[in-house]
Amino acid sequence: MTTLRSVTRELFERMRDETVEIDAEFVVAPSSLEEAAAVLAAASAAAIPVSFYGAGTRRDDGGTAPADVVVTSNRLNRIVDWKPDDLTVTVEAGVAIETLESEIVARRQTAVLPETAVGATIGGVIAAGISGYRRLRYGPTRDRVLQVRVATGYGKVVSGGSPVVKSSTGYGLPRLFTGSLGSLGMIGTVTLKLWSQPLTAATVEIGDAAAALQGIYRPLAVLETSEGSFVYLGGAESQIASQVRRVGGDPHPGLIWPEPITGPLRIEFRVSAPFVPAAIERAKHLGASRWIAEHGIGRVEAGLDDVDAEDFAAARTWAESTGGVLVVTADAGTGIDRWGTPPASIEIQRRIKAVFDPAGICNPGIMPGGM
Amino acid sequence: MRWGYDDGMDLAARLIELLGATRVHTHPIDRLIYAKDSGVSSGDPAIVVLPETTEEVAAIVRMAAGADMPIVARGAGTGLAGGAVPASGSVLVVLTRMNAIYDVDEIGRTAWVGPGVINLDLSDALVDQDLHFAPDPSSQQSSTIGGNVGTNAGGPHCLAEGSTIAHVLGVEIVTVDGDIMVLGGAAPDPPGYDLRGLIVGSEGTLGIVTRVLVRLTENPPDVVTMLISFDGIGDAARTVSDIIGSGLVPAALEMMDGPMIEAVENFVHAGLPVGAGAVLLAEVVGHPAGIAAEADLIREIAVANAATDIRTATDEDERALLWKGRKSAFGAVAQAAPDYYLNDTVVPRTRFVEVLDEICAIADRYDLRLLNVFHAGDGNFHPLISFDASEQGMSEKVVAASHEMVHAAIAAGGTLSGEHGIGIEKRDLMSRVFSVDDLDAQARVREAFDPEGLLNPGKILPEGSRCFDRPAT
Amino acid sequence: MAWVTDFAPTTSELDTCIDCGLCLPVCPTFRVTGDESASPRGRIAAMRAVDRGLIGVDDRFAEVMDLCLQCRACEVACPSLVQFGRMMEGARAEVTAQLPDWKAFATRTVFGRAIASRSAVVLLSWMVGVAQRAHVTGVLPGAVGKVTALRRVPLPVPTTAGHEWLPDGEPVGTVAFLAGCVMDQWYSDVHVAVIQVLRTAGYRVVAPPNQTCCGALAAHEGAAYDAAKMAARNVDAFAGYDLVVVDSAGCSAHMKGYGHWAAGGADLAERVVDANEFIAALIDEGSLPKVSEGKVPIAIQDPCHLRHAQRIVDEPRSILRAAGYAPVEIDPAGMCCGAAGAYQLSHPEMSDELGVRKAVQVEAAGLPRVASANPGCEMQLKTFLADGIDVVHPIEVYWDSVARHK
Repeated sequence: MTTLRSVTRELFERMRDETVEIDAEFVVAPSSLEEAAAVLAAASAAAIPVSFYGAGTRRDDGGTAPADVVVTSNRLNRIVDWKPDDLTVTVEAGVAIETLESEIVARRQTAVLPETAVGATIGGVIAAGISGYRRLRYGPTRDRVLQVRVATGYGKVVSGGSPVVKSSTGYGLPRLFTGSLGSLGMIGTVTLKLWSQPLTAATVEIGDAAAALQGIYRPLAVLETSEGSFVYLGGAESQIASQVRRVGGDPHPGLIWPEPITGPLRIEFRVSAPFVPAAIERAKHLGASRWIAEHGIGRVEAGLDDVDAEDFAAARTWAESTGGVLVVTADAGTGIDRWGTPPASIEIQRRIKAVFDPAGICNPGIMPGGM
Repeated sequence: MRWGYDDGMDLAARLIELLGATRVHTHPIDRLIYAKDSGVSSGDPAIVVLPETTEEVAAIVRMAAGADMPIVARGAGTGLAGGAVPASGSVLVVLTRMNAIYDVDEIGRTAWVGPGVINLDLSDALVDQDLHFAPDPSSQQSSTIGGNVGTNAGGPHCLAEGSTIAHVLGVEIVTVDGDIMVLGGAAPDPPGYDLRGLIVGSEGTLGIVTRVLVRLTENPPDVVTMLISFDGIGDAARTVSDIIGSGLVPAALEMMDGPMIEAVENFVHAGLPVGAGAVLLAEVVGHPAGIAAEADLIREIAVANAATDIRTATDEDERALLWKGRKSAFGAVAQAAPDYYLNDTVVPRTRFVEVLDEICAIADRYDLRLLNVFHAGDGNFHPLISFDASEQGMSEKVVAASHEMVHAAIAAGGTLSGEHGIGIEKRDLMSRVFSVDDLDAQARVREAFDPEGLLNPGKILPEGSRCFDRPAT
Repeated sequence: MAWVTDFAPTTSELDTCIDCGLCLPVCPTFRVTGDESASPRGRIAAMRAVDRGLIGVDDRFAEVMDLCLQCRACEVACPSLVQFGRMMEGARAEVTAQLPDWKAFATRTVFGRAIASRSAVVLLSWMVGVAQRAHVTGVLPGAVGKVTALRRVPLPVPTTAGHEWLPDGEPVGTVAFLAGCVMDQWYSDVHVAVIQVLRTAGYRVVAPPNQTCCGALAAHEGAAYDAAKMAARNVDAFAGYDLVVVDSAGCSAHMKGYGHWAAGGADLAERVVDANEFIAALIDEGSLPKVSEGKVPIAIQDPCHLRHAQRIVDEPRSILRAAGYAPVEIDPAGMCCGAAGAYQLSHPEMSDELGVRKAVQVEAAGLPRVASANPGCEMQLKTFLADGIDVVHPIEVYWDSVARHK
């Protein structure tokens, strides 16, 4: 990076962040999305790889590209506009999800963000496309991102979507950026659709998760884990009581979520819902020490101590044969291919990457197919 | 890929060879029949084709693109924004014959369906499985799933369930190159960019959807449907605001004003309160114990806002009749005058009452007949101006008033379209809600799919949205 | 020149359609083809194009209009209350007037002239009757072969017009009765049943002698001037009768629209009542008995011109219930069976496709009997239904029950 022009270097220096310890030449913390766009424009011009940093909760996951410049969302940390009577909130990327949820709970509202992603930022969760367990009832995170303001790889501030609960106005940039892992630019501000929290909620330990899912009208979540199976219910008290009678088991008040799966080696089966039981078996066969399966969704997350490459390949082949995938969310330095077979649409995906990040500087290689 | 032809056959002859004469139209009458959808704009296709398979669509696209002809997809033609209006000299690909329902997965609650499946037919076909397709645009008895995908269609029940986008897990498309590929799927969070999410609402500008993987919703164990009457439209609007503000999101919360009630009742004979200033149609679904309390809360709020009557549907037939009234609203306005112009703006629900006042004031100022029907719970307005286009200067007046109404909504933090899409009708208003850079970013998406702009040209984005010239291919 | 007749769709009629498309799914030909040109909205667009002078009436226009079954299901679905049937009759009149080919000539001869002539109909019926007895109908070509599904025509051929029937006691009133063109000969059993039921209710039934065919077939086939003449003749023939009972749905529907066809037509239209609605009302008010002998399930199929054109839906069902049956729905949409009068001859492919679909629906009910209140539908159903399923008329069924319990 010795070839950096002085103006670029100056720009980076001016925004230098001293609070985050990452091994990169520059860690910059823009205080507006316009500043972030300027960083990306300069990086594009100089062809310097850039990555993005929220709270670092997924930093060790092996999914981050090495970069000379790391842009953090530290200073983009305001809840811009909460409209409780409209059930929407506009919030900057650097706000921690607990910060947002604890603010809006005052009006018994929730953004339905991941329940156990402790410390994660809104921007990080949306960039990673992570949903909470309650997606069974409220849909995935991407269904609630109404509007995004982003700094694109080519260095412009762009707004997409609409700040209202329903829109069919233009192309779906909020969905494109949700789950794009910082490969198209940086998410600055999002407007989210909120839900009211149920009047009461309960967690019921059950025997057969699959049967419970078919037997109950719209539970919040149905999880089968290495520690037991649980149904999560919300609603009026009488409603919960009658549903508990249907599934049996002892209700515990409130929503008691499983401990998140940690550890250096983590994998995720993402298969269509009917394949969940088979995916659990596959995870066990791979030697999973812990696992959490979302019935009705098709995500089975597992933590491993180590993995046999052949077994893993066989499991991946199986998952892909069902129309799903087996992805590695933390590779423990094993170097296992994170994504598996690239999607059929990879050529169009590359073109999308090329129009939003023409210089190829945003988290290069982080997406499937080495994009 | 471009095919060079040197056998002297023109495109129509080639298409007839592919599809047979009954599935290819070039006669001027057919071109006029297919010139428009339910909106006001019209175009002129050169050739109309009715394929039955994805492979046929791919072959059509390759042939048309090979001849540098624009390609426009069409379902039942019930769109209100001109999304399926064929560009001049285009090949219009009518997908109604691709109407099979395949692979219903009762456990996973999904189904693959052809784009030509009629929305309501899908739900009707799933009655025995106790499932339905949640998006229910008012056109649902006619409109196709493919069309719903194209416009990201909504409907009354999208208030709680979300628009079409939330109910489409995957799509099979034919790209402008004639390639066939599946985007998304039944497995959650497929790796890579959410191209499925881009296709939904893209009005056939990114590819032609030839199959759709839909998410199915279980039928609720219980439903309460209420028709609440008010003397004034303001009382009804405040009731809506108060309900949403209470944190309750009913399954549907619809509103009609007095003139609309009268037009609808004339057709549907549902015993709607002709003479009332406004009605709300409120529905709550779910567990009986839960919805009884929700229905009570709605009644309480309505009474506090001076509701004059609350009628609760006593059986499925009565419920169906009330909904039929709501869903025939657009068609019924023709009883008043031969033409109508309709907006589809959405505003934050907290601004609903004030924007409504403003819309009514605009209509008064222009001395226009206004009928209102709204997805009130979503803040989605459908102010409908009923007029006779043959009157001198009337059309201009209507457009001017209508644009003022749009601006009022945008000024209140709203947007152009909640569910009809942009098409031609709202295309030139896009710059009211998006900056030059915003539109450029959207044009980049389009460019990634269709570099030469052959797919449904002239829709969604205004001319010149892309900030620099396209690279030569 | 765009239009040339007095019957053409008018601009204001065409303007009532706002292209919403809610008619599409109820249109049988659209359902089969998925083609806008085979839909009510598409047909209106074509008419509009002629009306605005954008195109002329040519062969393709004729083809687009001719594919319509004129079932009028679209009118029921239309929130704008478009009078589609009326406009289609006008468009057909234009086709006949502007494209005077052999088909137009034949149409005019058969549906405009021959059908209005009792001797011609009797001659035809006699030929059919003889053919049936000689067992040669099976060799008739194409759609004409459907004649095999016709009831056996009685020989000598009966005629109703010019007769009068008295009830057993003092008449409670007098009703006029439409003999019709072929009903008399081909479905005389239905006539008998209706007349007997009316007598049972205490009515004197008069079939005025100078009446003629109602003209529905002529109107549907574009022989508009002939249809107008027939309407005018019937206006005279039925003058002075407070009620005119008509037992064929196509005829009652057409006569209720006489306002478009003849001076004084609107007045006669007001007095026309379909036999189903009249008899159902008599049962309802207690003037006719309800026979209760258990609930025998029976499938029910609705003739379009009863269900769509006249919105008569409950009446045949209540007649069946009064006869001791429990009607079982086979098609909530009430889609056309494809018979559609002369349509089965002019468009055998579409007609057969719809006939098969309807038969599948009837057979799905798994019942040995289906009730249909229209002779055309009966013939179509018999053609396509598996052996062992009877097609019966609700009023015949009712009369059977009443007669058995007398």
